Amino acid sequence: MEITKSQEGEKLVVLVSGRLNTGTAPQLDAELSTLVTQQDALVLDFSDLAYISSAGLRVILSTQKAMSRKKGSLVVRNCKPEILEVFEMTGFVDFLTIE
Amino acid sequence: MAPETVLQFALATMLPVVATIAFILLQRKTRFGGLGFWPQQIVIGIVFGSIAVFGTEFGINAYGATMNVRDAAPIVSGLLFGGPSGIIAGLIGGIERWFSVLWGRGEFTQVGCSLATVAVGFYAAALRKFMFDGKKPSWVMALAIGVVAEVLHLTLIFVTNMDAMKQAIMVVRACTMPMLLCNGLSVMLSVIAAMLLSGESLRNKVPEERAIAQTVQTSMFVAVLIAFIATSAFTFLLQSSLSSQQVDELLRINIDDIRTDIDQTADANLLAIARKAAERIGSVEAAKTMSLTELAHELGISEIDVVDNSGKIVVSTFSDFVGYDMGSGEQSREFLPLLDGTHTEYVQDFQPMSYDQSVLRKYAGVAIGDGFVQVSYNEQEFQAQIGSQIVGITSNRHVGESGSVIVCNAHGQVVSSLNNASSESLENTDLGAAVKANAPNTVFKSTYDGTPVFAMYNRTEAYLVIAIIPQAEAEFSRNTAVLVSSFMEILVFAALFAVIYYLIKRLVVDNIRRINATLGEITAGDLNASVDVRSNEEFASLSDDINETVAALKRAIAEAAARIDAELEYARTIQRSALPMVFQTYPPHYDYQIYASMDAAKEVGGDFYDLYLLDDDHLVFLIADVSGKGIPAAMFMMQAKTILKSLAEAGLEPDEVLTHANDELCANNEAEMFVTVWMGILDLRTGNVKFANAGHNPPAIAHAGGKFSFHVVRPNLVLAGMEGIPYKLHELTLQPGDTIFLYTDGVTEATDTNDELFGEDRLLLSLDARESQSVESICKGVHGDVDEFVGDAPQFDDITVLALKYVGRKDK
Repeated sequence: MEITKSQEGEKLVVLVSGRLNTGTAPQLDAELSTLVTQQDALVLDFSDLAYISSAGLRVILSTQKAMSRKKGSLVVRNCKPEILEVFEMTGFVDFLTIE
Repeated sequence: MAPETVLQFALATMLPVVATIAFILLQRKTRFGGLGFWPQQIVIGIVFGSIAVFGTEFGINAYGATMNVRDAAPIVSGLLFGGPSGIIAGLIGGIERWFSVLWGRGEFTQVGCSLATVAVGFYAAALRKFMFDGKKPSWVMALAIGVVAEVLHLTLIFVTNMDAMKQAIMVVRACTMPMLLCNGLSVMLSVIAAMLLSGESLRNKVPEERAIAQTVQTSMFVAVLIAFIATSAFTFLLQSSLSSQQVDELLRINIDDIRTDIDQTADANLLAIARKAAERIGSVEAAKTMSLTELAHELGISEIDVVDNSGKIVVSTFSDFVGYDMGSGEQSREFLPLLDGTHTEYVQDFQPMSYDQSVLRKYAGVAIGDGFVQVSYNEQEFQAQIGSQIVGITSNRHVGESGSVIVCNAHGQVVSSLNNASSESLENTDLGAAVKANAPNTVFKSTYDGTPVFAMYNRTEAYLVIAIIPQAEAEFSRNTAVLVSSFMEILVFAALFAVIYYLIKRLVVDNIRRINATLGEITAGDLNASVDVRSNEEFASLSDDINETVAALKRAIAEAAARIDAELEYARTIQRSALPMVFQTYPPHYDYQIYASMDAAKEVGGDFYDLYLLDDDHLVFLIADVSGKGIPAAMFMMQAKTILKSLAEAGLEPDEVLTHANDELCANNEAEMFVTVWMGILDLRTGNVKFANAGHNPPAIAHAGGKFSFHVVRPNLVLAGMEGIPYKLHELTLQPGDTIFLYTDGVTEATDTNDELFGEDRLLLSLDARESQSVESICKGVHGDVDEFVGDAPQFDDITVLALKYVGRKDK
């Protein structure tokens, strides 16, 4: 898994590529938990994300909760069909802002 | 030295440096570096050997020896390029030096030089192997190595010429400075060139980067240098003091000898005249009647005095002296013992007379019956009578080897010197001035005939006696002693340095390296590696301590692992007993078959299922999957399972159960875990299933004899994700004979060795193949297919399945 950050106006875009599983989720968790305290608008770009496990979902869940608490915004965008399917099956589509 | 000589030496000094640069570049940039070790060593050895030969052939002959820059090449070769090349170069240089006497190279040092050049090749090879471990020495060390090699060389010249020590010393003294300097510089510059080419800094490293051995090297080098300077200075001072004492004694003895000779000659002359006068005069009474002036003239003197018993002059050639009391002056009083018979003859040195202190006279007296006769030389007579005998008195006298004694008369004319040099005057020479400036009987420096000399003088009668010895001769033994003892000290200290350094390296540094290597293995995870350095007590003890520590660590790890294993086994048992294992509950009116299993990836898992009858007609069945695995997931699973069951038993519909359970799980969820749940309540009377889905995989359903298909509804969010959200109630109906299959993503996302997922299609195929079989067979069959698909890949996730076949009203 690789994490690439870029500023896009007010928003910070985090491009996550590769596989987000039990092994790589802690790395994203560490990155996002810092960014959550610094940024008001985060975008998770999953255009190169191939797989997401429940450990990955947990990271997204806790990031979403943290952003909601501070009234910030979290947007997930460019999901591949198989990732979108996971979000649908787990009900995350109702909970996340997916573009 | 002539300019072309300097050029020759400079060229011979620079050749090894040039060869060093050339070979380093060749090794790096061309195929030469690809040749094997031995071909390279031979080529390098031959080239450096040729440079040594050049050094011999362009050396300078001096004292029957050949001064040269030959040894640097084998040393540089052996130090920088490998022992064998140094030995080869040394052999070539040494053997050629042996035969070079045939075409005019110095024969005197043939053995010493040949041996030395062969020896330095081995010396460099040994240093590289034992002292520097094949690495480059620092440039300071390189200079020292070159200097020590030359000292060894010059010492060998001594050792091989024990029967001609003087010549050997001349050779060595002439060669010492140029050879030490040129060979030392050559080795040092070669090492500096090599260091610069490999991008190393010439400056000292900071302490953390310096190995123990290097620090020891530097400190020892300084200590040895100080010790060497101190002992050399002490030897120099001691030998200087000894040699100045020797010079003092030598000069004094020679002066005294000559003085005695002059004294004796003069005394004998005057005494003979006095005896003649006494004989002619006979008695005091007779003297009164004879002409003393005539007698004096006959004897060639001007003064004759006759003294009576009372000590007064009664007759004299000088009428003024008549009546003079001999006891009234110090000089004259010395003659009085002639009157009382103590002496019959007495002679005095040439000195001022008592009667008139401004006049110098030499007196001799001889007793006659009633008094004594005394005669004297005045200055002219003294010179005339004695001078001829003094001339040449020192012409065969050597002081030491090339020193001499010079005698001058009262006018400063040289009357005698070695080989009777012409009677020049000392008046305007350095020596004459130095005599005036210094006290008698002290050693002082001057020059004589253009040679620096030590000199001493004394006077006797009217003569000045000067003894001289060339400074070079006087200091020869001292300089030789200092030179030889310095050489010996350099060799002894160098050997000591090498031995101590080698011992420290072998006893400390090498052992530390071995221990570090083993510690590296241990750190890398091999707890079975053991340290075994037993070359001395300290390291044996350190080895034992490390081994014990590792053993204790190993035991602690094993104990901890055993304890965790035991605790996990308990946890597994507890979790298993929390999942229902009895599947047939035999409600009174209706029938169904149900089977489920949970296979945790670790000892405990986060998946669970549950099934229980609410009453005679309602069966609750559910499957759930906690995010994550292991102990945290297992604990969250137990909590979720308890909450779900208590809510369901309170009579709530599945959607209400999930809504309330979600709120409760959200309330205390610091770990931010979540759980997906599919929960259904089957009305056994109608086959109607009310269900709700919190983010779980859709179940597969098959009618009797039909195929399985997924029953997809839009799921709500996972439980514990967000507080306060509502869950939706769905319904479906099972016909008697229909089978519903629930599973967790451990089934569909099971992965084989090619990273391929088991997937929903394979699941449906696996189910369809067993539709008509018992629910237990379906569950076990699917699990079996998953296992077979995964093969040797490790199981990442818990695998949980639940199959329920609705049978309907029991046939009575």
